[in-house]
Amino acid sequence: MVGSPVLLIAIPLLAAFVIPLIGMIWKELVRIIPGLVLAYMLILSATLLYYVSYNGTIVETIAGWQAPWGINLDFSPLTGFLATLMSALGFLVWLFSYRFKRNVDFEPAKKYFIFLMLLIAGAIGIVITGDIFNQFVFIEITGISAYALTAFYTGRNSAEASFKYLMMGAMASSFLLVAIAILYSQLGTLNMADIASKMHTMNPTYKIIALIFFITGIGIEAEIFPLNGWAPDAYTEAPGPVGAAFAGIVVKAGVYAIIRMIFTLFDVPGAYDFLIAIGLITLIVAETSALRQEKLKRMLAYSSIGQMGLVIVAFGIGTHEGVFAALFLMLNHAVIKPLLFFSGSSLVFNSKKKQIAEMNGLGKRMPLMAAFFSLGAFAIVGLPPFAGFWSKLSVLSAAANEGLLLIIVLILIVSVIEIVYYFRVVNRIFFQEYSKEQSVVPHRPRINAMVAMFVLAIAILIIGFYPDAVTGILHNAAKDLMNTDQYINNVLQLGQSLTR
Amino acid sequence: MDDKLFEILEYGVYGASILLILIGLYAVLTKRSLIKIVIGMSIIDGGIHLLLITIGYLKGGTAPIFSPGYEEAAAQMVDPVPQALVLTAIVIGFGVTAVALSLIIRLYRHHHTLEIDEIKRLKW
Repeated sequence: MVGSPVLLIAIPLLAAFVIPLIGMIWKELVRIIPGLVLAYMLILSATLLYYVSYNGTIVETIAGWQAPWGINLDFSPLTGFLATLMSALGFLVWLFSYRFKRNVDFEPAKKYFIFLMLLIAGAIGIVITGDIFNQFVFIEITGISAYALTAFYTGRNSAEASFKYLMMGAMASSFLLVAIAILYSQLGTLNMADIASKMHTMNPTYKIIALIFFITGIGIEAEIFPLNGWAPDAYTEAPGPVGAAFAGIVVKAGVYAIIRMIFTLFDVPGAYDFLIAIGLITLIVAETSALRQEKLKRMLAYSSIGQMGLVIVAFGIGTHEGVFAALFLMLNHAVIKPLLFFSGSSLVFNSKKKQIAEMNGLGKRMPLMAAFFSLGAFAIVGLPPFAGFWSKLSVLSAAANEGLLLIIVLILIVSVIEIVYYFRVVNRIFFQEYSKEQSVVPHRPRINAMVAMFVLAIAILIIGFYPDAVTGILHNAAKDLMNTDQYINNVLQLGQSLTR
Repeated sequence: MDDKLFEILEYGVYGASILLILIGLYAVLTKRSLIKIVIGMSIIDGGIHLLLITIGYLKGGTAPIFSPGYEEAAAQMVDPVPQALVLTAIVIGFGVTAVALSLIIRLYRHHHTLEIDEIKRLKW
């Protein structure tokens, strides 16, 4: 055993606050320490995930307070899978941004890495905590570091994007607090397993009101349709790797929180239909908006919102296949979208406006970046030999098994829209002439950025050609999410604890 | 305290917290100045904190502290959990307000105005 789940939160938090002190000794340590921490977290969570998939969930009680009273951490196949995914992505984001801009000197780099560590600590905390108020605190940690990262560039309109995000986030946290107040006044507990076991005693009216407040509150992070106004601006104005971190880490945590509420905590009939409806609206609105975007990162942001809509539709199907498909989509999105953000931000690196039209003919200037971007584009629209194909196929087959034909039709139509806007970019990169006036001067990414993109590309190909490499983990995770009784039993002192 | 009076008072406090939340919402939704919007946010937070505290209150309640000689007071103690929650929420609200105000400073340096209508380079 290399450690316990609490280290996944404690170590990055500690690192975030120690970085400025260590930076006084040797400035390069500010860049090195986060990498070491993230590598350790990746190894730790992967080892724990391996352990958990054979021996059952680890429930860790904090400070010796037993489950219904104290805070417990729940490292199950599902939460472990997400934590591993987040630490892996965090490591790749670190690798890409190790020297993201040559002119980023010590002071901004310090802030960047502090907030990146806080972001990852918060997102992993959201996933593995078993206490609803603790989850609220982690949502706030994630939120505040995300606002700060959005406003990282002082020169751009980033303050406006960040303020917009902050306003929505602050309102959302107020709603979350109201929901927690309602739940606590009705059930007298904050432990998620305890809430789930007592939920049937709650008055249905209060239950539905609390659920609505929760979904509104967490929907901001999960980019559900009417609540995602912040996303395109934040993705556009934030640095490229931060966009990748939002798409890969923050959004996943938000979706997890919603799913945990609906699948485990609230047994509200009709919640699944609501998920399907809201997911479809998100999907259609986002993909049609992406179609008419002229800025590259904005297009990627809308595409990311659309993918989250698809994930929520798949969760809303509610069967084992549906949950499996949704988790598969989350994995693929977490692998593909960072690759698109990394390569895309390298392609438009020196451009002021980040327009798609400025990418004409870059395929000849930067063949490797263009190839990575095209690989990501092919994979995310779901062309057969790549990763996205299998996840989209599993969503469609899950919907077909339940006879939800309307969903299949809509997903296929939206896929065509997706193909149009992604291939428009690929077409410009490869088949348009490069002209000096409109095109940007290419920026050759550093070797560490290349390695990060290369790892993601390899992952896309592996999942594409050999999906069985990940389906076992995903099936375990799906089974874990569907089994509410086991979750309650595990947490309320009937399962195994970490004391061996 | 008289039962009737306590009941009226309890409803009054609940009503006040809801009213605070609504006043804050009104400020956030209708005011055009960034500073006023942030003030509205803080008022909402205050309303929610009051709501949480009220939920945990007990008629004739005492502070939730065990001291020797007063062991039987446990039945009269107010619920300490909402108070802990509110303490945490106050700190978080403080942090969010600080970040919001620093962003406003930066927006003001960029645009030389605090009117939200004039700061809209980014559109949906």
